[in-house]
Amino acid sequence: MTYAVETEKLNYTAGRGEKAFHVTDLSLHVPKGAVFGFLGANGSGKTTTFRLLLALLKPDSGRITVLGESMPEEYVSVLAKTGYVPERPHVYPSLTVREAIDLHRTFYPTWDQKWADELLGEFNLVLDRKQSALSKGEAGKLQMLLALSQRPELLVLDEPTDGLDPVVRRDLLSALLAYVNDTQATVLISSHLVHELERICDWIGLMDHGNLLVEMPMQEFKNGIKRLRLASAPADLSNAPFTLLSREEESNGSQQWLVRGWTDGMHEFFTGRGATVREVVDLDLEEGFVEILRSSRANR
Amino acid sequence: MFDNIDSRSPTPLYAQISSRIRVAIAAGELAKGAALPSVRSLASELRVNPATVVQAYRELESEGLVATRHGAGTFVQDVGAERRTRDRVAESRRLVRDLIAKAATLGISTAELRKAIDEEIKR
Repeated sequence: MTYAVETEKLNYTAGRGEKAFHVTDLSLHVPKGAVFGFLGANGSGKTTTFRLLLALLKPDSGRITVLGESMPEEYVSVLAKTGYVPERPHVYPSLTVREAIDLHRTFYPTWDQKWADELLGEFNLVLDRKQSALSKGEAGKLQMLLALSQRPELLVLDEPTDGLDPVVRRDLLSALLAYVNDTQATVLISSHLVHELERICDWIGLMDHGNLLVEMPMQEFKNGIKRLRLASAPADLSNAPFTLLSREEESNGSQQWLVRGWTDGMHEFFTGRGATVREVVDLDLEEGFVEILRSSRANR
Repeated sequence: MFDNIDSRSPTPLYAQISSRIRVAIAAGELAKGAALPSVRSLASELRVNPATVVQAYRELESEGLVATRHGAGTFVQDVGAERRTRDRVAESRRLVRDLIAKAATLGISTAELRKAIDEEIKR
């Protein structure tokens, strides 16, 4: 598989002493053409990772390859092919929408003015309005317009829909998905809105405390995590074909297990040990995500 | 046709999309020769990954319900009345299966369920 973004044992430390934050041995693989959803609680290291990938921060050790080129060394060439919507965009408040577009355009030879004009219409942006007078939704749409009109091979979107109303979110994601359909560009996107990512992403990564806990195709992630309701639990857990993430005993002696890597044939593991599975419950992305964080934190 | 596509459902998104179209064809809502929305516009409208729509259309194609003509789009094939009836029956069974499973988890007996269905139909 070719990767649009690949890191190998990336390490980075911000701050000192007690308050230091570490990104630890981060090995990330974003397949070319994927829409890769990056999940994690506030402060888990998502934004720091994005900034490392784009040479806005320098790693202490490790390797970063973006669009086949080494970062931070080749940042000029890589950033020309990358659209970035930062968590807190840098804007000149006195520039109008038109002036912001003109300024941005000069940096990108691949700029597509025809499409920028189409997006202006779709997004209902007023050219003569100063950026200081834009609503939060309008500012978000302008950032997406700037990133898309560069026609980038890679889009790095840091919470692009955070704090925006449902109508604006819809417009932004519709434009993004149309672009992905037309160009097969790679998208790396973080969001708090797990259900939003669940719809649009085909890969998923989960960060916690500067560690990448999970990296896999969305469908695999969603299929493999189950909650099992057991009437009776097996005493012997050796050679279990799945990973037990957590177990809870209920008052009537039955148990609830959370497992990863479950497939249908694994019932036999329980029947072979004299135990009974009463029910296998599917979890959605958010539940799976919460459970993995909980079990990872319990083992820290 | 595509209301309530639910990413939280254990049924994968592509299967939800293909199932809606299959039912629409079986019910005659989509007639022979009707064009399905383009992958681009449906992905955009439902805010799902374009690959998800492609997968749904491929599944329908492999069942002979639709055909893709390159550059033109995806169109509903000539599906006989018999096949449409069969698909409607299959869909009904699926609905009933879900209902029975749901009732069982709530501790409702088959007799109670059957009685409720009869009464609701009569209303």
